[in-house]
Amino acid sequence: MAGIVLRNVSKTYPSRDTDMAAVSGLDLDIHDNQFVTLLGPSGCGKTTTLRLIAGYLTPDTGTISVNGKVVSSSDGVIPPEDRCMGMVFQNYAVWPHKTVYENVVFGLKLRKVPADEARKRVDHALDLVNLTGLKKRYPSELSGGQQQRVALARSLIVEPSILLLDEPLSNLDAKLRERMRTELKQLQRRTGITFIYVTHDQAEALALSDQIAVIHGGRLQQYGTPREVYGRPANRVVADFMGLVNLVHGRVLGVVGGRATVSLLNDTRLDLPAPQGSAAGDPIEIAIRPENINLQKPVPGSSVLAMVSERIFLGNLTEYCATLASGEVLRVQTHPQEIFNVGDQVAVNVDASQCTIFQRT
Amino acid sequence: MPRLEEAVMVVAVLLLLILVVFPLMTLLISSFRNDDGFSFSNFADALTERLYLQALLNSLTLGAWTAFFSVLIGVPLAWAVSRTNVPGKRMIRVTATLAYLSPPFLVAIAFVNLFSPNAGLVNAFMRDVAGLPWLTFNVFSMQGLVLVTVLHTFPFVYLLASTALQSVDASYEEAAQILGCGKFRTALSITGPLVAPAILSGTLLAFVNAIALFGSQAIIGLPGRIVTLPTRIYALFDYPPQYGLASALSLLFIVITVVALYLQRSFLAKRSYITLGGKGSRPQLVDLGPARWAVFGFCVLVFIIAILLPYLTLLAVSLSKSWGLDFWKGLTLANYRFILFEYDPTQRAIGNSLLLAAISATVAVILGALVSWIDIRTKAPGRKILDYIALVPLGLPGIVMAVALIQFWLAMPVALYGTLAILMLAYVGRYIPLGVRAANTALRQIDPSLEESAHILGARWWTTMREITLPLMRPGLFAGWLLVFVPVVQELSASILLFSSSTITLAVAVYNLYETGYSEPVAALSILNMIIIGIAIWLANKAGGQSMTEGRSGLSSGNRGGAV
Repeated sequence: MAGIVLRNVSKTYPSRDTDMAAVSGLDLDIHDNQFVTLLGPSGCGKTTTLRLIAGYLTPDTGTISVNGKVVSSSDGVIPPEDRCMGMVFQNYAVWPHKTVYENVVFGLKLRKVPADEARKRVDHALDLVNLTGLKKRYPSELSGGQQQRVALARSLIVEPSILLLDEPLSNLDAKLRERMRTELKQLQRRTGITFIYVTHDQAEALALSDQIAVIHGGRLQQYGTPREVYGRPANRVVADFMGLVNLVHGRVLGVVGGRATVSLLNDTRLDLPAPQGSAAGDPIEIAIRPENINLQKPVPGSSVLAMVSERIFLGNLTEYCATLASGEVLRVQTHPQEIFNVGDQVAVNVDASQCTIFQRT
Repeated sequence: MPRLEEAVMVVAVLLLLILVVFPLMTLLISSFRNDDGFSFSNFADALTERLYLQALLNSLTLGAWTAFFSVLIGVPLAWAVSRTNVPGKRMIRVTATLAYLSPPFLVAIAFVNLFSPNAGLVNAFMRDVAGLPWLTFNVFSMQGLVLVTVLHTFPFVYLLASTALQSVDASYEEAAQILGCGKFRTALSITGPLVAPAILSGTLLAFVNAIALFGSQAIIGLPGRIVTLPTRIYALFDYPPQYGLASALSLLFIVITVVALYLQRSFLAKRSYITLGGKGSRPQLVDLGPARWAVFGFCVLVFIIAILLPYLTLLAVSLSKSWGLDFWKGLTLANYRFILFEYDPTQRAIGNSLLLAAISATVAVILGALVSWIDIRTKAPGRKILDYIALVPLGLPGIVMAVALIQFWLAMPVALYGTLAILMLAYVGRYIPLGVRAANTALRQIDPSLEESAHILGARWWTTMREITLPLMRPGLFAGWLLVFVPVVQELSASILLFSSSTITLAVAVYNLYETGYSEPVAALSILNMIIIGIAIWLANKAGGQSMTEGRSGLSSGNRGGAV
């Protein structure tokens, strides 16, 4: 299995008006045997990154190495056909003129695997993706999910050390997507292949990954475990992208030993890890996830009061919009059993341990 | 290490140079040269002498009238088919297709048999039997030439107009109507402007094609002393050939054609906003009421004049001992026996035409596939230029192609003149745009990821081409092959200057026999010609239909993801 190292990789597409940097100065260390997700909105450069790793594109600057060997640099690239990688495309790219068997066996034929052995390995690969018995079908006779599995089997059969997946689930319906997600995760664990997975769906990334690389505007914003990226976003772009978040303005009151006391929301005080170089008086922004806010019936001495201005029932939880006296609106998610009505006065409590501070400029 | 794909690219470029660029350059050089060297005298002659000015004027007149009548026939037919409840729509579609496919010089020969001033059957009947001499019609006139040419060119207008009418989203018209706009006014202020570019574009195509037809202009124009550019250029090759003047006239010809095609393209470009409408909404069909029978009558009339009349006439002539008012008294198959077994060139011509058509179509399609592959799938510098060069022959009338090829190959150390090879070069050169266009369409439908996924599995360029790209392009390439095969079988404009007795082709054989003046054997040979074309089209349709459906189901699934 293999690790991949990207160093200062940039790729610019020439365009009519201005040259658009699809990826700039990207550094990334992908370890062996991991499930790594490149996450970001469409047009952020994640697919470009994937295609750079695959060797379809030549980087303008920087290098990409696999197991310490440089495979891409601005001087040239080892072409995709010599990289021993696998790739699953967003549109599956299952060849419509070949049967399932012919699709899957293609890579083995190129490697001149004897027919007997090839047949056994195809059977095994189709078992692996639960497609047993569909060998003779043409892709047009398969559902989207089945085509997806053919694409997977086709990539896996050549035992690549790295499998690249470009939004492989985005064309499936919600239910199937859920199931394929689990299967992909299990597959990765079973085979130990390094998966590099591109998606714009943060829930998918959180569910699947060992490591998530959040990319935005062609730059790496944060690289960490799902828990880190969600709970300790490196900046407000990441915080915003990883799910619903309240960004509340505040001010640093003092910094002691790496922790800052900040004031927000009508002089609520929170004690949080301080961002580097912050000092008393700095304007800041605090990212608070809606599930980390607690609403209660107001009691005398409640520091922050708000009025419920909207209630949305989401099934597994209830979302409230709580409007503060200042006019600021907080979104709060609670267990559906706690019921407040629109117009109710509520006391707002914030769980400081789950918040992150960003410096405001 | 020189890679295979690079070698293939070089071959494609070389072929295009030999087929198109070098001959055209030879033409250009030759037009500026007389016995003394560089000179403008050829152009001076072409633009001042009455002989040539008249030919230019005749060509323009012919083109203009033909274009005008093509609109008059094509637009109502298109409107009837796509927007009304007229009966017999299938017949109209078939008429347009057949009219386009049927060789104009055969139609011309048929009409000569009906309307030549003395022996024409209709004329003889009107004059001698009906006693209505004022109802005769001399086909050897500009009117006759326009009539015969229009029957071949109206499908261009019909086709573009009906496509446009069908692609105008009904919601545009419904939006006008809900605002209180009447049906007629809607047609005038909404539909009309939307389809006008397509109609104009079809009109220009009709013009360009009309003026390039050598066969009908020679058969009908020459006896009527209406000399046009193709026939004038042809005459310049009588001994001693005047290459310089022929080249200058050819260049003038190219300029006219290219200007018309340029305008056509820019009109067509405007058309694109039609397709931006929503999808799936069908255009409304106008209920014509009893008037639909009048419209139907018009369609039947076109069918009779364009298809039935010429081919029944040719059939009748071919079966008669002596063509005349009482031809039915002596029906015989002798003419067929004569042309099949006694007339020496026939069998050779059939063999040559089929062979040339098969080879030319194959080469044109392969070259087309290469050019479009380079254009779409590589980043090779100058690939756009390559694509343009492959489209240049659209602006070259057949006879101009021949003039250019003759001079280029006479200057080369290889003796190609009078061989099948030079005919093949002419055909491939003329029809390479069809090959490129077919390949282009086919290749654009293939998502690049289908090829990329082969690469990442370790497949090299040629393996990917052989296993993935070419099989997926096959239906499109096959359609392109037919698109070239059919016109090559009936090609006359270029062949007439390039053939020799051993390389005679079918169309040339018909024309030569016609020149000798025996109507009945000519008709038999024409029918034979038509049967061969018919079989080719039928086979094509059959094979094409199969592989098309096969390919379509395959491609749609391959594209499912890409389309989402």
